[in-house]
Amino acid sequence: MSTTLFRTIQPNHFTLLGTALFRTRRTTRHISVRCLNQTATTQEPKPSSQPRTAPKNHGSNKLDEILRDYEAVIGIETHVQLSTSTKAFCSCPNSYGSHPNTSICPVCMGLPGALPVLSSKVVDFGVRLGLALNCELSLKSKFDRKQYFYPDLPKGYQISQFDIPIASGGYVDVDIPLEFGGGHRRFGITRVHMEEDAGKLLHSDSGDYSQVDLNRAGVPLLEIVSEPDMRSGIEAAEYGSEMQRIVRYLGVSNGNMQEGSLRCDVNISIRPIGQAEFGTKVEIKNLNAFSAMSRAIDYEITRQALLYNQGQADQIVTETRLWDEGAQKTVTMRKKEGLADYRYFPEPDLPEVILAQEYVDSIRASLPELPEAKRRRYEDMGLGIQDVLFIANDVSVAEYFDEVISKGADVKSAANWLMSDIAAYLKNEELSINDVKLTPQELAELIAAIKDETISGKIGKQILFELLAKGGTVQGLIKEKDLVQITDPVEIEKMIMKVISESPKQLEQYRSGKTKLQGFFAGQVMKMSKGKANPALLNKILLEKLNAKE
Amino acid sequence: MATRALLAVISASPPRIIRIKASTFPSSSSSSLQFQRHSRIARCFSSDSNSSVLQPPDVSRLAETARISLTPSEIEECGAKIRQVIDWFGQLQQVDVNSVEPAIRAEMEGGNLREDAPETFENRESIRASIPSFDEVYLKVPKVLNKE
Repeated sequence: MSTTLFRTIQPNHFTLLGTALFRTRRTTRHISVRCLNQTATTQEPKPSSQPRTAPKNHGSNKLDEILRDYEAVIGIETHVQLSTSTKAFCSCPNSYGSHPNTSICPVCMGLPGALPVLSSKVVDFGVRLGLALNCELSLKSKFDRKQYFYPDLPKGYQISQFDIPIASGGYVDVDIPLEFGGGHRRFGITRVHMEEDAGKLLHSDSGDYSQVDLNRAGVPLLEIVSEPDMRSGIEAAEYGSEMQRIVRYLGVSNGNMQEGSLRCDVNISIRPIGQAEFGTKVEIKNLNAFSAMSRAIDYEITRQALLYNQGQADQIVTETRLWDEGAQKTVTMRKKEGLADYRYFPEPDLPEVILAQEYVDSIRASLPELPEAKRRRYEDMGLGIQDVLFIANDVSVAEYFDEVISKGADVKSAANWLMSDIAAYLKNEELSINDVKLTPQELAELIAAIKDETISGKIGKQILFELLAKGGTVQGLIKEKDLVQITDPVEIEKMIMKVISESPKQLEQYRSGKTKLQGFFAGQVMKMSKGKANPALLNKILLEKLNAKE
Repeated sequence: MATRALLAVISASPPRIIRIKASTFPSSSSSSLQFQRHSRIARCFSSDSNSSVLQPPDVSRLAETARISLTPSEIEECGAKIRQVIDWFGQLQQVDVNSVEPAIRAEMEGGNLREDAPETFENRESIRASIPSFDEVYLKVPKVLNKE
């Protein structure tokens, strides 16, 4: 074992990773200053059909002012809990919510003599995510021990990957939502590596002791470290959302921030615009929603800028701050005394992770269409960006949409139905698209039936509700409820004449100038026809009759 | 114990300037990347004759990081013993590895992966029973707020 100590650790471009790994003051890096045209992060976002809660921008004018003088430099570390059936290095079940300390064994408990064995699924997911993030894969990588003492860390070290992660040097493309300025952004991904989670630490109410649940110890994680490419809370939140979208699309994780299967820590510093050197970096933890991330960043930018303006920039120290959701501010965790020294060295109990090129190629071939590709495809189909973002946000919705289109339905109509009536239904009933009884085939039928005027749009909306809740076929319902639209002008004329003759008073009023009463007549005819009269035809003939007589 | 102490020493040695020779780089690494020369963590024992001998071990700091308490006399004793072991291993510095491609790990074969099939460990009860501070559901531990 001592021979491992004297092996030359291969110097490679990972030794460059000062900022993310060391949690130290940033060293100067030669990076060209990106002068992004800061799109205004001002308006109070209007309630949109976007699933993600749009962040409130309190004091937004203040932020605008600040952003004229300072540039925020933001990087994000994301920990993704993998949805494997077992833990990373032992066969204990990986299931959320089990009774505490029941998913344990000598390996994950760190008992003497136990040895870790890597799960093939973890490697698979690592490769998958690395490829999805456009990274270069390390065909040979290794594990290292990250050593520190903490009650939720049974072995006294965490098995992680330090200098040779499984993937590195990638990027992700996102679309900023329209209400925040829109536009495309590309953010770099420094690295993706495999590691294990620690247990859960709960603090007792009485305060003199804490409690540990080790069910989570050893659960596999993929850590994604971004380049410090984000420049605002909005960009950071969108990056986070895209990470969530991607891991869900890939099926490597359920990406729930509330459950803790997706955790984001933000590293943020500001610098006067034009300065090449980075400012002092602050880490923010305890963010459990993307909106919180955005607000925390805005708060922190403001806090740091204030100190700069007061000539107290030296008050900004490298530290970890927690986001206090209640108070809507970041607060200091205890300031670190000195640097954390993790004493990394290669994990002697685990062999190299070797990836065959064919293995990587086969995984690449099996990747699903990713959110970015979907968004571009939908844009090419002619959908507006708002629709594109909505549909591509959820992989199940996108799949549903794709199926509806494949049955021949008109793209724009399909998008509209999904975004309005169907989305509203899902929200009210708290269902996911996979739960509705309306099949994509039937939605395509519905769209076609309205298009060829078999039924009117209004009737369409009515039967949609029944189709969603109970299923059935469009044709079936049309027959059953006798919903076929009336398009015979003769029939319509008959009804119109009847209505006119039954309402002489209104006719009088119409003739003497109250042309708005046309709506009254139209309504009556509709009622008589049980909503089946073709509206366009109805109004055309009605107008003729109303203006022509006598 | 000596090997663990040795491990701790090597891991914790102070920053070294790393002389990186262009020839030792894998050709795939991008030439546009810059290299951080002051790296605490990437310890590189080059066989370059300019490389300095390891600093004497800071035994009290080592003991601190390993959470081992030592009396002042033990610190002195340990320091000397650790020094001896390191110097003995230090003989490896004589070997010229300039023309040798650095390996990631010692052994030749990788692999040994496990299927993702859950198994419940039969004797969980005895694991829990062997924890003195286990309180029926959780492990009870002193309240700790800050990592290291």
